[in-house]
Amino acid sequence: MSTISITASGGSQARRAPGLMGWLLLMPMVLWLAAFVVIPTLILLVYSFCERGSFGEVVYSFTWENYVRALDWRYLKILLMSVWYAALTTAFCIVIGYPVAWFIARADVRLRSKLLLLIMLPFWISFLLRTYAWISLLKAEGVVSAFLQSASLITEPLSILYTPTAVIIGLVYAYLPFMILPIYSSAEKLDESVIEASQDLGAGAIRTFFKVILPLTWPGVSAGVLLVFVPAIGMFAITDLMGGARVPMVGNVIQAQFGAARNWPFGAALGICFLIIFVAVYALLRERESKA
Amino acid sequence: MIEHPTMKTTRPLIVAAMLAVAPFASAKELNLFAWSEYIPQSVIDGFTEETGIKVNYETYDSNEAMIAKLVGGGGEYDLIQPSEYAVEALAQAGRLEVIDRANVPNFANLSPQYLDQPFDAGNKFSVPYMVGTVGIAVNTEKVKEPVAGYADFFSDKYKGRLVVLDDGREIVSWALAAKGRSINDITAETLAEVKPLIASWLKNVKLFDSASPKTALLNGEVDMGIVWSGEGAILVQEDAKFAYILPKEGAHMFIDSLCIPKGAKNKAAAEAFINYILKPEVSKIISDEFPYTNPNLEARKLLTEEQLKNGASYPAAGKLETFKEIGEVSSLIDDLITELKSDL
Repeated sequence: MSTISITASGGSQARRAPGLMGWLLLMPMVLWLAAFVVIPTLILLVYSFCERGSFGEVVYSFTWENYVRALDWRYLKILLMSVWYAALTTAFCIVIGYPVAWFIARADVRLRSKLLLLIMLPFWISFLLRTYAWISLLKAEGVVSAFLQSASLITEPLSILYTPTAVIIGLVYAYLPFMILPIYSSAEKLDESVIEASQDLGAGAIRTFFKVILPLTWPGVSAGVLLVFVPAIGMFAITDLMGGARVPMVGNVIQAQFGAARNWPFGAALGICFLIIFVAVYALLRERESKA
Repeated sequence: MIEHPTMKTTRPLIVAAMLAVAPFASAKELNLFAWSEYIPQSVIDGFTEETGIKVNYETYDSNEAMIAKLVGGGGEYDLIQPSEYAVEALAQAGRLEVIDRANVPNFANLSPQYLDQPFDAGNKFSVPYMVGTVGIAVNTEKVKEPVAGYADFFSDKYKGRLVVLDDGREIVSWALAAKGRSINDITAETLAEVKPLIASWLKNVKLFDSASPKTALLNGEVDMGIVWSGEGAILVQEDAKFAYILPKEGAHMFIDSLCIPKGAKNKAAAEAFINYILKPEVSKIISDEFPYTNPNLEARKLLTEEQLKNGASYPAAGKLETFKEIGEVSSLIDDLITELKSDL
C-alpha cells in the first residue's frame, strides 16, 4: 500500500497505491480490523485510565492509578514470570519442533501430506478436551504414573500434575504445531543445492546448519516464535487446569479483573502493558530479520 | 466473588442462547437470569406447562458477572438469583423491586431460620432459593486423625494433599474465622493481620478449584478439600469414605435468593415463578438434582432419609455467618491473594 515507490514514469502495477477497486477489495479486511482490533484496543486504552465504581462499573474520570498498580512489584513479578514461562515454552517448541519440521519437509511428497495431517489432527478436537486428557494422563492415579510404576522407573505415584512442570508440558503441547508449521514451510522451500554447495566448499554438517540452513529457515523460526511466545504469555486455561491455579500468569490476573474482581479499568491497564510487550517482541524479531 | 460449583457444563448456556433468540415479547414470558446448573430444566418446563408462561433462561457463573450485566444494561431480566451479599448490594443501590407477598402464598413453606436475615430484613426484596455452607470434605481412608477446623486442615502434615476453592474472599474468611474475627471484618488492617497465616496455609495447598473441587478428591489427587456443601453432599453420596465437616472456628453460609430487578417488565410472571418453585414437590426436584440445604420445610418432608442424613446438605448446627457486601476492599483481597500465590 506504500505510495513511496511511485516514480514519474509510473511504478509497476503491484506497487501502485490501491485504486478504487483495490480499496473495495480491501474493505472487508479493513472493516474487520477496525471492528475487532482497532476499536476494542481504543476502548481498552480509554478504560485503562478510568476508575472503578463501587459496583464495578467503569467511571469515566482520569487516573494513572491502574498503571501504578500494574507496575507494582507483585504484578510485575507475575508478568516477568509469565514471560519466563513463555520463553521456556518457545525454547522447547523450537528444540522439539525444528527437527520434526525439517524431517517432514524432506520426506517423500506422499508421506509429507500424511505427516502434516498428523500435526493438524489435534485441532479437530476441542482444546479444553485435550487439556483434560493431559490431566488424566498425568494425574497420580493416571496412565503415565501406572506405566512408570509398573516399569519400576519410579516408586511413588507421579506428582507432576498441578506443578509448573505440568504447565510447561501443557503449553509446549498446545503451541508445538504453531512452531512446526511455519518452520516446515520455510524448510520446504530450501533448495537442496545450497546445502550441497556448502558441503562442496568444505563446510561440515554443523557449520552448514548454522551458516546456511538456519539463516535460510529463519523466517519460519521467527514466525513460529511470534505465534508461540506471545499467546503463551497470555494463556490462562492451562495454568488453571494443569497448574491447579497455583501459579498465576498474567492471563489469569487479567481474566480475574474482567470477571470475579469486577475491575475492568485495572484489567485494561494490564492488557495495555501486555500489548506493549507484544509490539516490542515483534519489533525485535523484525529487526533481526532485516539484519539477516 | 463466590463462584458456584454449578458451572461445569455449557448445556444450559446453549439452551439459554437458543431461547434468547426470540426477542418478540409475548404477553406471557419470563426472562430468567440464574446460576448455571442450579435450576433443573424439568422445573422450568413444568412451570411453562402449568402457567403457559414461556421462560427465557440465561445463565451466569458468578454474582459479579450477573451484577456487571445488570448494571451495564446488557439484558432485561425479570428474575435473578443473587447470593446474600449481592442481594444486599443491589437492594442498597435501589435496583430491586419489592416482592408482593400476596402473589407468593407458598412463602409460608420456608423455614424461618433463613428468613429475615441482615442482608434483607423482612425479606422485602428476596426469597431464599437454596442454602449452603463452605466446609471441609475429608477422605477418611487417607486422613485418619480427626479434622475439626482450619488449623487441623492446613496442618503441615497434609502438605500437597489439599484442594481449596479458588476464591480470595472465601480464603480470607477462613483466616479471619481462625483468628476469632467475624468473616466480614475485612479492612486493610485485618488483612495485614491474617496475611502471614494465609501465606503459611497456601504453601500446603496442591490445587485451587472453585468449579469442581470434588473431582480432585474423587480421583485421589488430594485427600481433603474446602468445598461448597453441594459438592460435599455429592462426595458423601458417591462414597461413604467421604465426610463433610463444618469448621469449628466458623464457616460461611450462603443464601442464594430469588429477586426481581427494578423495572422488570414481567413482575407478575416472576412472582408466579417464585411461588411455583416454593411448591414442595417442585422444590424436592431441585434438592434431588442439587443437594444443597433446602430451606423449604414442606419439601424436606418429601426427601428420603438418606438425603436428610447427608451431613453436607443438612449439617449439625455450627457457627455460621453470611457474607456482607464489602465494596472496594475487594481489590485489597485480590492484591493479597495474587501476591501470596505468586510466592508459591
